[in-house]
Amino acid sequence: MKLGFSPADELFRQECADWLNGQMAGEFRDIKGITKLTASPERRKEWEQQLAAYKWSCIGWPEEWGGRNATLAQQVIFAEEYARAGVPGRVNHIGIELAGPTILAFGTDEQKRRFLPDIAAGKTIFCQGFSEPGAGSDLASVRTKGRLESGEWVVNGQKIWTSLAHISDWIFVVTRTEEGSKGPKGLTFLMMPIDQPGIEIRGIKQINGDAEFNETFFTDARCPADSMIGGVGDGWKIAMGLLAFERGVSTLGQQMAFRNELDEIIAAAKANGAAGNPLIRQRIAQAEIGLRLMRYGALRMLSNTDHSKIDGAALTYKIQWATWRRSLGELAMDVLGQQGEVADGSDYEWDTLPNLFLYSRADTIYGGTNQIQRNLIAERGLGMPRERRGDV
Amino acid sequence: MDFRFSDDQLTLTESVRDYLAGTHGPEVLRRLDEQGNRDPAIWQGLVEMGLTGLLVPEEHGGLGLGLVEAALIAAECGRACLAEPLVDTAFVAVPWLVRRGELGDLAAIAAGERLVPLPHVLNPWVADGSGQPLQSVDPLRNLVMFPAAGSSDPYLLDLGALMSSAQLVGLADAMLHQAVEYAKIRTQFGQPVGAFQALKHQLASCAVAIEFAKPAVWRAAQALQDGGESASVHVSHAKVTAGDAALLTAETAIQVHGAMGYTYEVDLHFWMKRSWALNGAWGDRAWHLKRIDQAVIGGALPIGPEHTFA
Repeated sequence: MKLGFSPADELFRQECADWLNGQMAGEFRDIKGITKLTASPERRKEWEQQLAAYKWSCIGWPEEWGGRNATLAQQVIFAEEYARAGVPGRVNHIGIELAGPTILAFGTDEQKRRFLPDIAAGKTIFCQGFSEPGAGSDLASVRTKGRLESGEWVVNGQKIWTSLAHISDWIFVVTRTEEGSKGPKGLTFLMMPIDQPGIEIRGIKQINGDAEFNETFFTDARCPADSMIGGVGDGWKIAMGLLAFERGVSTLGQQMAFRNELDEIIAAAKANGAAGNPLIRQRIAQAEIGLRLMRYGALRMLSNTDHSKIDGAALTYKIQWATWRRSLGELAMDVLGQQGEVADGSDYEWDTLPNLFLYSRADTIYGGTNQIQRNLIAERGLGMPRERRGDV
Repeated sequence: MDFRFSDDQLTLTESVRDYLAGTHGPEVLRRLDEQGNRDPAIWQGLVEMGLTGLLVPEEHGGLGLGLVEAALIAAECGRACLAEPLVDTAFVAVPWLVRRGELGDLAAIAAGERLVPLPHVLNPWVADGSGQPLQSVDPLRNLVMFPAAGSSDPYLLDLGALMSSAQLVGLADAMLHQAVEYAKIRTQFGQPVGAFQALKHQLASCAVAIEFAKPAVWRAAQALQDGGESASVHVSHAKVTAGDAALLTAETAIQVHGAMGYTYEVDLHFWMKRSWALNGAWGDRAWHLKRIDQAVIGGALPIGPEHTFA
């Protein structure tokens, strides 16, 4: 065990902070502080390219693909400084954190050459086509079909909750390519260009009025045969590998954003007198403890490089942060009291704290609900008998 | 000790529930949200049922009923997520005006021709009044900043808090119902998700919270009606209990709906946001808890077995 950062790391931190703060005070000051994922998409695509131009877009990737081969500590530092500087979230986070690492791990050399440079450069924005209306928690029951036809994959079906599909260039899709197969067998992982007649996108309005998600419809949508990652029937293996990347370094940047939210709650409680209420004080103390636990948990998870073993930290991380953040939303509302009912602007634009309450309702759902997480912890982690299920 | 209601009370409550179920379904909420929030036909229907005059004395053209009946009807308004300002005017303002002997507007209120949105110092904004518009988290609540300072009368606050509690119980019931129905039809892993204990138990916990909030609301209504010394503490008890039940049920119902519960396309969000708005209105959770702790620890509320139902 070795906690803390080295002097070289601290120099690196200064370099990150200087560059990010310079950008947020300069050329990109117009996007500083944006929290809504759908706001200013064109400027944020330019921001992706700016990151790439200065080699900050994917520092954990190998140098040959546009990264810096950054150490874990450096990635942690960059993610923290990114959030601290008030830089909006990455519109290409799926490309950088999920698609890229998946191609690096499972793609052919040709696929790496075809996709990685443009993802790194912020020119190819990716979205994720996993869930379907009938395949949410039960992801393995996907029904979107893929078939090979004269050198092309032809895809028919529907995906849902495809974040940012409306501004993306490519989508990766888990398709059922073996007729009559069930569950995780017979699935294939395809990469498809979005701008084609066979793909139609419809936004889904969220409870906070934003529309970050979409339904994506495939009607004889096409992609070249070699846009498949892994082999025919490997789709589940690739998808599970990809989901492991989801618990990556970005979780640490997320914690810095959580830090900002908790700080805002504390400031609001001091300003309106709620901090004088012992119940609120204790919940703030608990939130502070929870934030630190989350940080230790994430660093412990990231320190583990042997992914062949079931890792207790990785298995328990999602439910810990999701439940913490959902409670944070409730704490924010209890601090605001009646003031929480009123939005700052018109037209359903929310201040950070009411929006935090609304947004945090989804935390315990996406990326595996709390119920799915508990089943995983109990069944995979503790080795308990699998819950009885129906006939699939 | 008798928590049963009379046949008349039950018949009235059921008739309002049936009327709202038949005329004020979720499709109405969606339509209102798209088309300016208010529809005079809905208000007219409430007037014709006599609800605007429920608490108006008979000599002023009303039904002359009491706060217990009003609380039962307010719960039905919550169940239907009724956005019209019936509760504020007819169940909060009317008994307050009657108590103050200000009887001049009662006939017009009973006839549905006058709205009386009343601000309180704890409640600087009101729904369906005139003043600077504010955007409420509840898209169907027409909130305005009231131009004058609000009253500081504790009776007004108790009325508002009681009727909010009653609505919260109805809102919670409706959200639980929606979640239960969804859990029966949504299938994953080859069976309805409601067959999994992980969901079943959460919904059962909501049912427990709601069932225990109901008598607290009824108790508070009776206490406020009777004007006992401890009535305010009972109202605070109702507000905290009903608010907790509604927020727990909102959170659980969203969870049971999965990602759909996070969308604007599933109607649940209307109930969830109303719960949020009412939970903060007329004294938030911290305010009411403080009133209870002061009464219990400070000795103003007589405790001990002989006082439990007093």
